[in-house]
Amino acid sequence: MSLTADEARLLKAISVPKSDAQKVVRTLDWIVVVILLFAVTAAFHIHFMLTAGDWDFWVDWKDRMYWVTLTPMILVIVPAALSYPLMHRFGLPIAGTVCGICLALGEWISRISGFHLWSYFPYSMVWPAIVIPGLMLMDLFYMLFRNVFLTTIFGGASVALAFAPANWIILAPYHVPVVYLEQLISVADLIGYTFTRTATPEYLRFIERGTLRTFGGESTLISTFFSAFVCMILFYMWWRIGQFLSNLGTIPNQLKTMVGLEADKDED
Amino acid sequence: MKHLYVIKAVMMLVLLTLAGHALAHGERNQEPFLRMKTLHWYDIKWSVANEGTLQVNDEMTMTGRVHFLTSWPEQINKPDTVFLANATPGPVFTRLGSWLNGVPMIQSTGTELGRVYDFKVILKARIPGRHHVHPMFNVESAGGLVGPGIWITIAGDANDFVQGVETRTGLVIENLETYGVENVVKWHAFWAVVALFWLGWWIRRPLLVQRFLLVKDKQWSVLFTKADYLVTALLIVFIITVLIVGNKMTKAEFPRTVPLQGGKVAVDFVPNPEEGQVSVENHTAEYYLPGRTITVDLTITNNADKPIQVGEFMSANLRFINRDLPAAVAGVAEGYPPELVANKGLVISDTSPILPGESRRMQIEATDVAWETERLSSLLNDPDSSYGALMFFFDADGQRYISELQGQILPTFFDK
Repeated sequence: MSLTADEARLLKAISVPKSDAQKVVRTLDWIVVVILLFAVTAAFHIHFMLTAGDWDFWVDWKDRMYWVTLTPMILVIVPAALSYPLMHRFGLPIAGTVCGICLALGEWISRISGFHLWSYFPYSMVWPAIVIPGLMLMDLFYMLFRNVFLTTIFGGASVALAFAPANWIILAPYHVPVVYLEQLISVADLIGYTFTRTATPEYLRFIERGTLRTFGGESTLISTFFSAFVCMILFYMWWRIGQFLSNLGTIPNQLKTMVGLEADKDED
Repeated sequence: MKHLYVIKAVMMLVLLTLAGHALAHGERNQEPFLRMKTLHWYDIKWSVANEGTLQVNDEMTMTGRVHFLTSWPEQINKPDTVFLANATPGPVFTRLGSWLNGVPMIQSTGTELGRVYDFKVILKARIPGRHHVHPMFNVESAGGLVGPGIWITIAGDANDFVQGVETRTGLVIENLETYGVENVVKWHAFWAVVALFWLGWWIRRPLLVQRFLLVKDKQWSVLFTKADYLVTALLIVFIITVLIVGNKMTKAEFPRTVPLQGGKVAVDFVPNPEEGQVSVENHTAEYYLPGRTITVDLTITNNADKPIQVGEFMSANLRFINRDLPAAVAGVAEGYPPELVANKGLVISDTSPILPGESRRMQIEATDVAWETERLSSLLNDPDSSYGALMFFFDADGQRYISELQGQILPTFFDK
């Protein structure tokens, strides 16, 4: 697809440094950036809260199996769908990074206001997971390869492969063993026990309970690679969905004729 | 116009006046069958008086007994997975310890129907305010089943709260509230800076209109420069290196870690020597709505070797005491929530002692506005219109015998 004459003239005008045309499009850029920040924060945050939910809320839910397996799968969906329009319409390999930073922003707002100030939970119990490295790697591989197949394999997988290592750095201190009431538990278990969640008792935790033992106890590794495999599939699926949605036509606005404007023409 | 503001202000004041006092956990909103046919709490003691005050960091203890009723509702799971807890408005208290029959209850356990368990929970005051504090069992599929609660005021400054622990590796944690938080914030901030750098790399250039047109014109060399590729490659190497080095450093700092512990502990019930000494059979039970009275026609069989008298009828934490029986009256500890002890007490059709081996049919009447205020009268809306209760009997020596009572309940809507 090539530019029309008008588009070519516009491109020429806005390419002139410090021109009025460029100032206008830069203003538009910033307006869109701010709107995008709020929209992605709201959408991605609510998606993540409803799906990752308790695994991300509580330190004593962050286990080696379910948390490590499911969180990257949930994380990859929206960035994969957004990566098509951002990369293929604007040449911007930033979908994962935008989603990551927006999610981190939304998470911290929620943890500070909802969990800590409103409900009195200490930050040691409710810190959110680190999601940025994996999502950034997805963008970076997309930029490097500019090929959806290779990005699916390397970018999709990296969301999962980077998740456990990025979080173990902050989670490890909470997995130091403690003997409390004559019982061996981790510091995370102790924090979960100490700070009462009235409606979230211990048994509700969906955590590893003695499974994956046939894999030599390497639960994190197995979960990570399984998650990476699923993330590849999910990345491609949602990239395709993003492509489909980006290429949808518009519906003629019938209301325009009611206010005396010219009716929209149907798209070819 | 001015009148409108006045009217609005008056309406707001009226609304505020009419608004009821919010209880802590919506315990009155729980369906009656969950409160009447599951757990029955008795001999509950708090180390602090009702409406008492604690300072931040002070400790309090709740002890007592809980009876898992045999006629457990069909609508919920059997209590094969339960967790002994405390119903407080979130972590305004921290839990220092909890025991069921002396077994620590960090994990969940399973219990048996028709059995009795002793519990103990030690709490530590954390957040100032006036809080409602109950013992509670979380039961899988049923949710939280709360016992009677008292009001406690915590005074002081929440910032003074401290609760530490020494780990098995010798690490001393000064305060669980703040442990590891600095590290978490540091790493979140670090990755946010890296992400903002990458976003800034693109946002510093014209973004939308120009790039859209360049994509359409397939000017890829303008869209993606050599510097872009260089930064991309460097960032990939940087991120992977940070992850590897960060994990190596973490491994060096915390060489010994354990996974989350998710086992279940076993607890035996309390042997009850009085079990089967007294049995109670329900014939009919009626709830008389206008009078807020439950009347039960029942037969009591005394299998003990001493004469006994009816002392108390208890359901959903509401206690109806036979005020003519000193042993029963003495069973209500000082400071027990007064709203849960019926003023009128228990009316019994035949108060004479039931002799050993005797079966006697009689009626008991439990009348109190609490049926309404505790929202138990809505049991008539339950799909299974039945009730459960405990009955307490006493012999002349003050020896207590406990029996379950359960059956269907029939409504009476009009004055008799």
